[in-house]
Amino acid sequence: MRLATFEKFRCTIYTTMQKTVQLFVTCLVDTFFPRVGEAMADVLARAGAGVDFPADQTCCGQPAFNAGRWQDARPMAKHTIRVFESAHGDVIIPSGSCAAMVRHGYAELFADDPDWLARARSLAARAYEFSEYLVDVLGVTDVRWDGALTYHPSCHLLRALGVDRQPRALLANVHGAEVVELPSAEECCGFGGVFSVEHPEISAEMLRRKISNIENSAAPTVVTCDTGCLMHIQGGLKRNKKPQRVVHIAEVLNHV
Amino acid sequence: MSQFREHIRAAIANPVLQAALDANAERRVAGRIRAFASLPDHAARRQRARAVRAEVIANLDEVLGQFIAKTEANGIVVHRARDANEAIRIVQNIIGAIGQSPRPKLIAKSKSMVSEEIGLNEALEAAGQRVVETDLGEYIVQLRGEKPSHIITPAVHLRRQEVAQLFHEKLNIPYTEDIPVLTETARQTLREVFLSANVGISGVNFGVAETGSLCIVTNEGNGRMVTTLPPIHIALMGMERLVRSTDDLALMLSLLPRSATGQKISVYTQLIHAPRRVNDPDGPRERHLILLDNGRARLRTSPLEEALYCIRCGACLNACPVFREIGGHAYVGADGRAATYPGPIGSVISPGLFGPNFAHLAQACSLCGACKEACPVDIDLPKLLLRVRSGQLPVNSGQSRAGGAGLPLWVKFGLTAYRRIATRPRLFAVMQKMSAVLGGSMAPADKWIHLPAITGWGYSKDFPRPAGRPFRERFQRRDAGQTITAKKETAKVVGKTENTLPQKALVEQFCEELRALGGQVYLAKKSDLAGQLVSIIKVRGIRQVQADEPSAAILADLKESGLLVQREPNPEIRAGVTLAAAGIAETGTILVTGGEGRPLTASLLPEIHLAILHIRDIHPDLSKVLNLREVAEASSAALISGPSRTADIEMTLTIGVHGPKELHVFLVDD
Repeated sequence: MRLATFEKFRCTIYTTMQKTVQLFVTCLVDTFFPRVGEAMADVLARAGAGVDFPADQTCCGQPAFNAGRWQDARPMAKHTIRVFESAHGDVIIPSGSCAAMVRHGYAELFADDPDWLARARSLAARAYEFSEYLVDVLGVTDVRWDGALTYHPSCHLLRALGVDRQPRALLANVHGAEVVELPSAEECCGFGGVFSVEHPEISAEMLRRKISNIENSAAPTVVTCDTGCLMHIQGGLKRNKKPQRVVHIAEVLNHV
Repeated sequence: MSQFREHIRAAIANPVLQAALDANAERRVAGRIRAFASLPDHAARRQRARAVRAEVIANLDEVLGQFIAKTEANGIVVHRARDANEAIRIVQNIIGAIGQSPRPKLIAKSKSMVSEEIGLNEALEAAGQRVVETDLGEYIVQLRGEKPSHIITPAVHLRRQEVAQLFHEKLNIPYTEDIPVLTETARQTLREVFLSANVGISGVNFGVAETGSLCIVTNEGNGRMVTTLPPIHIALMGMERLVRSTDDLALMLSLLPRSATGQKISVYTQLIHAPRRVNDPDGPRERHLILLDNGRARLRTSPLEEALYCIRCGACLNACPVFREIGGHAYVGADGRAATYPGPIGSVISPGLFGPNFAHLAQACSLCGACKEACPVDIDLPKLLLRVRSGQLPVNSGQSRAGGAGLPLWVKFGLTAYRRIATRPRLFAVMQKMSAVLGGSMAPADKWIHLPAITGWGYSKDFPRPAGRPFRERFQRRDAGQTITAKKETAKVVGKTENTLPQKALVEQFCEELRALGGQVYLAKKSDLAGQLVSIIKVRGIRQVQADEPSAAILADLKESGLLVQREPNPEIRAGVTLAAAGIAETGTILVTGGEGRPLTASLLPEIHLAILHIRDIHPDLSKVLNLREVAEASSAALISGPSRTADIEMTLTIGVHGPKELHVFLVDD
């Protein structure tokens, strides 16, 4: 059997075995960037997965967790765990930091609560960041894009989840796109949740450097896997009347 | 506005500081990455180093017991201090026991963050003593009446102009921005201090439990000076800074200088065992070791225990994007008191050791994780910072126990309100719609809202307008169906290279490494060794030489050359000749040991150090040499890697601060 035919065959087998995935779109996508959620759902469906959205989902609790208000974070984490316990299949999250929250943060929140710790772990075991899931579980998709792209690896995706190869592999396979390296790509954009509000001066300086690196890359479009970074960098670009656009990787992959 | 916030604003508004911090971050991070490239198994070493430190901290009482027993058996007087006051009292008692003269004592100090932690200088000065910092950077900040702004490079916040002005005013030299001239001025001034000090105080980088060694790492040579020349040496050490064995020490030493300054090895790595023995030509007659708790035992049994793995390399400070913006001096407590330890690790251990006054420092962090990535012992700093934020401190009280110390009240209120909404999905959906209506009224024509600066967010960026129809209203369920072509990625397997070299290759590697550090290497036959050596000495117009006994034995005809040769130290002598006990090929390092007939000063005080090294004594790596009998038996041993150097002024490499300005190594084949 020729390799390509075999690949197609393998995918078909895979797809028929494929269960429905559950979208955890995050509060930011739900409220501010629904287009990202739609793109994600489309891409997943094109990859052969059934796509569902548990409607009771809200926020994973990361803002309160990161701010040190764990008494507020725990009820939100419990709520999220409950919502996804009643939905079967892998949980796909379009945000590195929210995925890291579910995978690592929940274990930290419930370190002294064996019951909830076990429930948190079982959710963590089936929770994936979007690009990670596409590459590691479904395989790379071929898509189209016109023009230059540059990739901003979000901190939690890169360093807390160790996901970097996957989004880069996805972007490398985008037809028509020229992927250029973002200078000092691995530097934080200065978002950090409540940090960006509590320490606006520091956050502003970090954002300023990120924007100047984006300008130096000469790419008109920045791709990221985290809507926190997207909101932050795009907000900075808007404020400074810069023409560059920040998009979520799902939007690139859905650009057909 | 909090004092912390005021300091942050001042730092960001200070262009001199910003330029200095940018240079620091860029050069230090690049240097660290370059240095680790020469260590192919660094990822595995990092995990081993973490395991070594974790094991020591888990069994601290036992390891500490062994270390103390060993150091005492070696003849070092060991003191334990529960807190800062006790440590200060111990130092004062040691100083108070010197003679009857009421004259103030002169104390020469090499860098010690523990001494900063306990406020030792202030206490000694208040008691009428004269304390002089001798690390160039530390000396500069002391002259300026400041605190170090970085745990490794204390004067990182200054440009050469500030140092030039400072030396012009305080040391009465003509104004000059020439860094070698500034460095030479410090050398001359501090040389007097080393030679006349009553007491030398140093820190300790690692204590080795099995051997009782105190390992001190410096580049300038001031560490060797203060632990060799004054009659009394006091070593200050955090009680957790231990490893079990010399092998573990070798592992740590392969990571510490690389992480700290991007060097494969520091110029001077000392292993101190004992005070001056009966027949030793030099060395202090008393050595004291003060082991400081000051909150460490409490930290060890807290959720922040992992912070005790820290080896104080400063890599997390250099990697931190927040430190890069605000610098070390901005890290202040709620009461405005400076935090001794800044940056990511400082934002954990400052509240961890000194309490909730410093808890808010952990909020100045975007949790980007660059610190964890840079840490040579893989401390999970973001996790620890989150624990500090959530109020999990060893000692905590009142409000900060609830977590979120430093957060404005409205943020805390907002987070609680958000929790109430987000745990009620229907309310959440209603609030989404309401926020869309509100957002629409604020920015009817745009998708982005220009919020005012007072909101924090609006300080530098616009805020997205909530979507009219959130995702939950748009979503349509899809069933499993259509496929797409998939490609599988193939993993690359990276091969591992072995590093075993024959002796000839070791010699080549040794020469290459030492030359890269600014040392001179010569291959010499035994017959014409003396001739070569003498010509180097004489061409510099030097008439008098300090030589140790083993080298004098090899160089029988040294005296016939007309040079005056002596064993005893004399600050006037400009050339020192020693036999190196061993060499290390991977770093271009030589080992000198102190003991009978082997003065340590011969490789330290003169401007020029000439060392003889037998080719057969060159070993491939540090670990082999640290395990040599000669090291264990020496009252003090020093690994020397090139001439004395500093980069404390504008990170400009300058040769010859306190130790020799030239190092010549003669390789003898026999």
